[in-house]
Order: sequence, then structure tokens, then C-alpha cells
Amino acid sequence: MSITVHKITKRFAHFTALDRVDLEIPGGRLVALLGPSGSGKTTLLRIIAGLEIADSGVVQFDGEDFSNRTAQQRRVGFVFQHYALFRHMTVFENIAFGLRVRPRRTRPSAQRIRARVTELLELIQLQNQAGRYPTQLSGGQRQRVALARALAVEPSVLLLDEPFGALDAKVRLELRRWLRNLHDEVGVTSVFVTHDQEEALEVADQVAVMNGGRIEQVGTPDDVYHRPTSSFVYNFLGNVNLFHGRIDDGTAYIHEEATGHLVFVRPHALEIARQPRGANYFRATTKHINAAGPLVKVEAVTEWGAPVHVEMAQERFRDLALRNGEVVYITPRDLAVFANEQRAG
Amino acid sequence: MIGAMTLPQAPALGESAPVRRALIGATVMFLGAFLLAPLALIFAVAFGQGIAAYFASFRDPDTLSAIRLTLLAAAIAVPANLVFGVCAAWAIGKFEFFGKSFLISLIDLPFSVSPVVAGLIYVLLFGARGVLGPWLTAHNVHIIFAVPGIVLATIFVTFPFIARELLPLVAAQGNDEEEAALTLGANGWQTFLKVTLPNVKWALLYGVILCNARAMGEFGAVSVVSGHIRGLTMTMPLQIEVLYNDYQFVAAFAVASLLALLALVTLIVKSFVEWRVGKPGGQLA
Repeated sequence: MSITVHKITKRFAHFTALDRVDLEIPGGRLVALLGPSGSGKTTLLRIIAGLEIADSGVVQFDGEDFSNRTAQQRRVGFVFQHYALFRHMTVFENIAFGLRVRPRRTRPSAQRIRARVTELLELIQLQNQAGRYPTQLSGGQRQRVALARALAVEPSVLLLDEPFGALDAKVRLELRRWLRNLHDEVGVTSVFVTHDQEEALEVADQVAVMNGGRIEQVGTPDDVYHRPTSSFVYNFLGNVNLFHGRIDDGTAYIHEEATGHLVFVRPHALEIARQPRGANYFRATTKHINAAGPLVKVEAVTEWGAPVHVEMAQERFRDLALRNGEVVYITPRDLAVFANEQRAG
Repeated sequence: MIGAMTLPQAPALGESAPVRRALIGATVMFLGAFLLAPLALIFAVAFGQGIAAYFASFRDPDTLSAIRLTLLAAAIAVPANLVFGVCAAWAIGKFEFFGKSFLISLIDLPFSVSPVVAGLIYVLLFGARGVLGPWLTAHNVHIIFAVPGIVLATIFVTFPFIARELLPLVAAQGNDEEEAALTLGANGWQTFLKVTLPNVKWALLYGVILCNARAMGEFGAVSVVSGHIRGLTMTMPLQIEVLYNDYQFVAAFAVASLLALLALVTLIVKSFVEWRVGKPGGQLA
């Protein structure tokens, strides 16, 4: 089922959470709402679910206006950041809940419910935990139960609010791959909220980057990472070096009398050498070197005193044999230029 | 060392054994002298002239009428405060609104006001010379020195018990589970019955027990509005006082023993609730 969000606005007291947001989510996709805290992503998700009511704007499911339907009528599966499992019910009862509360006419028989819950327990690989209570499960297990509970009612869309936010790093990595596989298997239109750009880029078919109650860019992970349309998106997706500069005849001059342009370079797109090469370089002094991890991270200070971060392969680092306090020449291989929006107003 | 085995503690807090024994001893002695001994004395005096005399006390029609009135007042006050307590805890715990902290203080009012003052409020409102007195007299409605006044005063003094017991729990649990139930297709009533109520049932039970104990035991407020008409507007605590003043010690303490039993039941239920809450599926938070 496709979801269309049209000119949704939501204000809380003195704070505008969403400002005329438009978003198109095609059926069957897994879409990430990515943004820093306070960007409005959770509010948008809750408005789609019917848990929050927009001040103005329209939410459509498959082209039909759902704005005035309650959460109960929308048939969405909602997964909460802190699981929100029913604490007084066993895992089995939690998953069965959505089927048991149906009106008698549409309620499946006890055997059908049992079969459906067993099937879902297999899907989340917790067949042996059916009789346990939520407090007896680990965080990752609880979140899987929450997912199974949401899927039990065969929702038209699945909405997940920071689904892995409360888990530790390793479980998070495991669970998000599992979610991706699950989505490929079940195929239900899914939207998940995250502030973790790595998570969004790895799991989603499409990423909507949000900032200050607006959507900055919507695109595939490849699009938003490699072809960001705004300085915010470039800045938010991955580490970045920021220089002020000016553009003249298709050439960027950094650290000259800035004339309203921002120049971004990713740390891995900077090349360090001991000798100047070509015409595009600046001089810097290395300050701190961190060689732990797949890439070596070098922190240096430019000749005009700004910090600059460079990442390079371990081999390259060994060839250079860099040490702290050395003078090096840095050449950008790839950069992105945006008009300085703050200045432009 | 026995002390170290029964009281495993961080070394920094490990008082020496004599100090520990002295502290525990002092506590037990205090509780014994001020709580257990008087309680035991009630039963000792009540049964002082044999079991027959004890049960004979309950054949007195005035005493029976007092017990009936106490049960009636509790039977009205407890359900009324149950409904109110659940509503108040729900509204205050789940929603944000203007004047919320004022409402919380208001709920606590009966705790901070002397019961005598509480009784006087009703006399000033509904008494013959009260604000609504002439109108009530004209319509032949009797509140003060009658059963309705006793029920009203009881409701007033027991007002905070259930709300106070539920409030912190409801606030700590937040709205997540209710929202989850709604998205799963449950309606408001199903959500309340299957999610909200089971989550607070033990606190609710304890609140009801406390409320009931106070409703049956209230003396001050009820005394002011009762008028002490024997056989009509006497509750158990009032009857105890009257019997005692009439030197009918066995009868006075026999009725008192019923109220003391109620206190014991309250304690047992409290222990049970605490034990139950500690078990899986019964967590408080």
C-alpha cells in the first residue's frame, strides 16, 4: 500500500515540528526517515499512524484520504522504540493481542490464532520463548516480539520508530540486517525513523532526509550520499571537512576572502603527500594520528589554522610513515560546493 | 559471623555487629511497645470475660446498627473513590494540561486538612444554619445528623487513597502500551480493560484496601456530622467511644477488635501485593 503525505503541518506550543511536508512512499518499499533529533521525523511517523493529529494537511493510503481515521481504523503496524510490549502478557499473548481484540465477526478461531502466532514465533526465531514475559527477554528479543505483534494483524503498512535505538551496537547491526531480510520476505510497505545515517543507508530502499520540520532530500541511499542537494544533507551523511571559499570560473578557491560559498570534502577524498603535487594543494601540519580500525584517521591543522580530517588506507599510511608534527601537502580529489545558505538568508 | 550472613552489605556500610544488634533491637522494642502491645491488649480485654461475653457484645441492636452503617458508608465511599481515583490517575498521569499541579495538590487536600474541619465543612454547607440548609429543610432532605452526611464525610476523607496509589504508577508507565493497543485495532474500552487495568491491578487493590480501612475507621469527620443518634447515625468508631464511656469495656474492645482485624487484613494484602508485583508479568515499572 502506498502512502502519500501532503502539506502536513504540526505545531507544539511554540515549536513547529513539521512545516508543510510532502512525501510519497511507493507500495512495498522500505523507506527511512533520517534526521537529527527535533527534525520532526517521529512526529511525521506518528501522524501517518494516526497517533498524532496534524494541524493541517492530508495523509493518503493508496490515494484514499485517511486523515480523519483513528489509529484503530488505519490498520498500521507500529513498532515503538522502547518496544511497548504488554508487560503482564506472555510473548504468545502479546502477539495474539491484535487478533483477539477483533470484533467477533472477523475474529479468527482459537486454533487459527494459535497457528498464526506459532508461525510468527518461527519467523522471529523465538519458538521456545512463547510462555515468557517481556521482562525475561533481552532487548533484541523484545524488539522482535514487538515486530511479530505488529505483523500479526497483517497491517497495510509497517511503521517503526527508532526500532534499534535502544539496543547495543552489535545487536543493532544484526537486527537491522534481519529487518531488511524480513521486509524482502513479507513485502509490506515499511517506514522507519532513525537518526543513524549508517542504518538508513544500509537498510532502506529510499531515504528521506529531514531537518527542522522539512524534508531536505528524498532519494536512494546512493543518491543522498553521492549526490546531496543541500549542504545539510552532505553534512549529515558522513564525516566532512568544511571550508569557506569562493567560486570563480568553475574553480573553487578555498580560504580566500569568502564570498558566500561552502566547500565540503569528505575525509577519504583528501590525499596526503610529503611533496606538493599539481596545482591544487594546501599545506598542513599533522597533529594526531589514529591507526586503529580499517582506516587511518589523521587530524591536521591547515596553514591558516583550521582543523582538517583525512582518512587513508593502512597501506598508504605505512608507505608514508607519517608522524605527529610533520608538514604535509593535502590535495582534494573530490569536493562539493554549496552556496552559503546562512548568508543567503 | 551470623550478622554478616544475615545482612550482606557493602563493606563501607558494614556497621560492627554490636551496633547492628543495638539498632535492630531498638526498632523491635519500639514497635513492640507502641504497636504490638496495644494491639494485643485490645484482644486481651475483648476476650477478658470469655468468648461468650465477646460474642454477646455483637447481639446489642445499637452495635449491630453501627456495624451496618459502617459497612454501608464504606460500600458507597470505596466504589465512588475507586471510579474517581482511576479517572484522576488516568487524567493526571497520561495527559498534560494547564492547572495539573494544582489538581494534584487538591487531591491531597483531605490528607492535610484535619478531619474535624472536613466534618465542619459539611455542617456549614448542609446544616440547618448552613448555606444550603434552608433549601434542604424546605425540601425535607436530611444530610447532617443523618446517613448521607456520614457517607459524604467518609468520601471526603478517603478521597486521595486510590488516586495517590495509582498516580505514580500510571505516570511511570506512560502511553506506549495503550498506543500499541490502539494501533493493533483495540478500541478504548478494550485498551482500558486489557492493557491499562491489568498493569495497575495490584496497586489498585492495595489502594482499595487502604481506602476501605480508612473509610471504616474514620472518627473525626464522621463524629462532627453524625449527631450521635444511637441506632441511627452511629458508626463503629463512634459506637466504640460511646460503649467505652458507658464503662462497657468488653463490648467496646470487641467492636475495636473488628477494626484491628481489618488492619491485619490490610497488612496481609499489602504483603501479598508486594510479593505478587515482584513476580514476572506483575512488574510495577
